[in-house]
Amino acid sequence: MNDQWTDRLSNYLDGELNVAERAELEEHLSSCAECSAVLEQLRQVVARAQSLENRAPDSDLWSGVAERIGAAAAVADLDEHRQRKQERLGQRRYSISLPQLVAASVALMVLSGGSAWVVSKAGGAAGEGAMPTATNGTALVSEAPADLATSYDAAVVQLELILKESRSQLDTATVRIIEENLSIIDRAIAQAQRALAMDPASIYLQEHLAATKRQKLEFLRQAALMAGAVS
Amino acid sequence: MDADDAVLAAAGDAKAFERLYHRHVARVHSLARRMIGTDLADEITQDVFVRIWEKLGSFRGEAAFGTWLHRVAINVILGRRKQLGIRRERFADGDKAIDKLSSNPKGVETAIDFEAAMEHLPDGAQQVFVLHDVEGFKHGEIAEIMGITSGTSKSQLHRARMILRDYLDR
Repeated sequence: MNDQWTDRLSNYLDGELNVAERAELEEHLSSCAECSAVLEQLRQVVARAQSLENRAPDSDLWSGVAERIGAAAAVADLDEHRQRKQERLGQRRYSISLPQLVAASVALMVLSGGSAWVVSKAGGAAGEGAMPTATNGTALVSEAPADLATSYDAAVVQLELILKESRSQLDTATVRIIEENLSIIDRAIAQAQRALAMDPASIYLQEHLAATKRQKLEFLRQAALMAGAVS
Repeated sequence: MDADDAVLAAAGDAKAFERLYHRHVARVHSLARRMIGTDLADEITQDVFVRIWEKLGSFRGEAAFGTWLHRVAINVILGRRKQLGIRRERFADGDKAIDKLSSNPKGVETAIDFEAAMEHLPDGAQQVFVLHDVEGFKHGEIAEIMGITSGTSKSQLHRARMILRDYLDR
């Protein structure tokens, strides 16, 4: 046994040798008990590594993570915030500033424009395979159940309810603009869902639908925030 | 389930992120422990999840959430390793370091014994071994992740295996 051969054993195990190198090494192994023994030991090392199981940390690390991301003080429990909102109701009326509304509207126009493009593409090129498609079932949105049992839908419903109950805190013009913008987002979501129904495996469409839903969730959260319903 | 929670977490839902944390913490912590050591594993695991929280907006769904998280975790761990410049002594004397471990009793080998032996591998060889033999990355991927050549990855892997083989054989 010498380094000339042992140095090749890992590559041999991993199938990294070419045909000639492999044949040469196998010929050597047939006559060298020491190298054969080392090869077997290396196999055991690899098998041991592959059989390791993951272990959770001994102590809870979440509290440290939560503190660092600000989750400890964040809006995490909507029920609790609804209760806080009830206490604040009737205190004063809020208006969304003009720049905020402009920003929201521009974002939504871009969003709905993107959806329209998606739908048109889905109706045309998607059927010809022009869209990127999932190969391993890692769909971002299609995995999610469509009913209200999903946590996303539940959060949206709850925020919509909060907003509905808090609309008296907003002036009429603000309420109207919020409703118009929510309507635009809902249309964008519906368009994305229709496009996805035509091409369920498309990663692009899954991603677009997820982004649109995130947009709605964030818009609702911001609107509820401005209405003083959450903090 | 992950994809749904990733959407919620990206929108600021800390509860959804906590669910993601609990589903993935064992894998992240094990990776950190094996790649950089038990002493720093807790702290780095927290760093990983803070980074994930910060980067959730860039998760596009091309891969499964767990795959994306795993890749971010590796980057955080390797970044920390560079930052700390830890365990330089192992470059020079990795083979001897493993001799300090208690001998591996025949028939009573446990995964924890083996992990302890892995922690004593020379720096570089340890990370390549974990990425290749435990995590299943190819040499080309490891080379890209670690900024080394495939040839270096292969030689480091072989070095790690030979050291661990000595440990198992004692």
